[in-house]
Amino acid sequence: MNPRMAPRMQSVVRFLSFLACAIPFVAILGLSFSPENPTDRRILVLVDDLAIKSSHSIYFKSLQSRGYQLDFQLADDSKIALHRYGQYLYDGLILFSPSIERFGGSINTAAIAEFVDSGHDLIIAADESASDLIREVAAECGVDFDEDPGAVVIDHTSYAVSGTDGDHSLIAAGDFIKSAAILGSKTVEAPILFRGIGHSVNPANNLVLKVLSASPAAYSANPKTKLANPPAIYGSSISFVSIVQARNNARVLISGSLKMFSDQFFLSGVLKAGSPIKHKKSGNEQFLTEISKWVFHERGHLKAVNVRHHKVGEVDEPLMYRINDDLEYSVEIFEWSGASWEPYVANDVQIQFYMMSPYVLKTMSTDQKGKYHASFKVPDVYGVFQFKVEYQRLGYTSLSLSKQIPVRPFRHNEYERFITAAFPYYGASFSMMAGFLVFTIVYLYNK
Amino acid sequence: MAKSSTAKDALALIRSLRSAYAATPTNLKIIDLYIVFAVATALIQVVYMALVGSFPFNSFLSGVLSCVGTAVLAVCLRIQVNKENKEFKDLPPERAFADFVLCNLVLHLVIMNFLG
Repeated sequence: MNPRMAPRMQSVVRFLSFLACAIPFVAILGLSFSPENPTDRRILVLVDDLAIKSSHSIYFKSLQSRGYQLDFQLADDSKIALHRYGQYLYDGLILFSPSIERFGGSINTAAIAEFVDSGHDLIIAADESASDLIREVAAECGVDFDEDPGAVVIDHTSYAVSGTDGDHSLIAAGDFIKSAAILGSKTVEAPILFRGIGHSVNPANNLVLKVLSASPAAYSANPKTKLANPPAIYGSSISFVSIVQARNNARVLISGSLKMFSDQFFLSGVLKAGSPIKHKKSGNEQFLTEISKWVFHERGHLKAVNVRHHKVGEVDEPLMYRINDDLEYSVEIFEWSGASWEPYVANDVQIQFYMMSPYVLKTMSTDQKGKYHASFKVPDVYGVFQFKVEYQRLGYTSLSLSKQIPVRPFRHNEYERFITAAFPYYGASFSMMAGFLVFTIVYLYNK
Repeated sequence: MAKSSTAKDALALIRSLRSAYAATPTNLKIIDLYIVFAVATALIQVVYMALVGSFPFNSFLSGVLSCVGTAVLAVCLRIQVNKENKEFKDLPPERAFADFVLCNLVLHLVIMNFLG
C-alpha cells in the first residue's frame, strides 16, 4: 500500500466506526418526542401501589401496544426524577397515585407544572382518597376537586344498577364533549362507569374543557353522612373527566376516578338506571383509549409547512409588496395520525393581512390535499403588515403563523400619467399659462 | 304692474352700472376681462368634474386652483394699480406688476408639479 494513503485510510476507518456508534444513538433519539414526530414515547407512570399495574393492565397494555414505553415507579420512590442533566427523561407523565402526600425524588408540584410548561403531557387520576398534593397539581391545571374529603359524586337518576351498591355513587355517565378530534370518529355507545370525586372547572379558564360531565341531577356529597348543607358542586357543572390544552399545546387529562381506568370497570357490563338496554361492556375502554390517543398527540396535532406568498404571475417571494398589488398566499397543513402526517382538510382556515387590525380576512380555499390557498389585493395602505394564520379549533393544537412583510406606496414613476379624463384639467392649466403671457403683453403694450 | 316696474328698475340699474363702468381706465378693464376668463375656466372644470367624477383628483385640483390662483392674483394686481385706491398710492404700479409676475411664476411652477 502506498504509505501516503495510510493516514487517509485511517481517518475513513475512524469515521466508519463513529457512524457505527452514532446510528443506534440516533435511532434512540428518533423514538422520542420531536416536532416531526409529535407522539409521546417515554411515559413515567407513578402509582401508589404496584398492584395497579395488574389491576389496570388493559389500559396499560393498550398504551404499550401502541408503542409507548411505560416506566412504572412508586410515587414515593426516592430515585424518581423527571429530568436529569437538563434533559427530560420522559415525554409524558401518568399520575395514578391519588393518595400520595409527597412525591419521592425531585418531583413536586412545581416540577410537574414545569414539565407541562415545557410541552409535555400529563394524566391525573384521583379518587376518594385524593391527597392535598394531587388536588394542588390539579388546581395548577385549572380544575378544582370538591374540597370535602369524604365527598363523592352521587346521582340518583343516572346511576349504574348493581347488586351490591345502594348509594348511587357508581355512575353511568354519557354526557360527552362533541368533538371527533378528542373522542375519535366512532361515538361511544355504552355509558361510562365512574366512581369517584367530582371537580369543577373555572369558567374563566378557556383552556380547560369538560369532556365527560355529570347529569343535571348529580351532586357531590359524602354518602355516609346526612346532607346538612347544600353541596358545593352539583348538576352538570360537575365534571368527571376534563382536559386542558395549554398554549404550548401540552395536553392534560384530569379524572376524578382512578377506578374508571381499571380492568374491573373496563370489562363489567353496565345497566343504566331507567334504561332497558344492558350493555355487555362499559364504554370506559373505548373512551379512555381514544382520549389517551388525544392526550399523547396521536390525534389532533397540526403542523403548517411551506408558507408561500408571491405576486400573481410570479413565483419568487418578494421582499416587499406595493399597495394594490395582487398576491397569492398558500400554506400546507398536515395532521399527525400517530404514524404519519396526513393532509388536514377543513373549510374554515383563514388568512389575515394584518397591521394592528386585519385589513384583509379571507377564508382560504383548499385542494383537499392539505394545501390552502388565497389570493387577494394588498390594501391601499402602506406600512409593515403581517400574514397571519390563527387557527384554533376544539381538539386541535393551535396554529399560529405570522410572517412580516412591508408594503410600500407607489414610486414617483409608477403613477399613471396623461390620463384621458384629466385632459381638460391639463388644458385649463396650460391655458392659464398662455393667458398669463397674453395678458402680460396686452397689459404692458396698451396705451 | 309691480313686476314691470322691478324689471325697469333692474334695467336702469344695469344701465347705470354700465355707464359708470365705461369710465373705468382701460388697464383695469383688461384685468377684469382676464379675471372673467379665469373664473369661467374654473367653472367649466367644476362642471366637467361633476359629470365625469373626481378620478384624477390631483389634476382636477391643480386645474381649478390654477384658475382660482390666477384670478386671485389678478384681483390683487387690480387693487394695487387702481388710482382711486388711496391705500396703495405709495406703491408704484411697476412694482405691483413685478410682484404679480413673480407670484404667477411660483403659482404655475406648483401647478405643474401637482398636475400629475
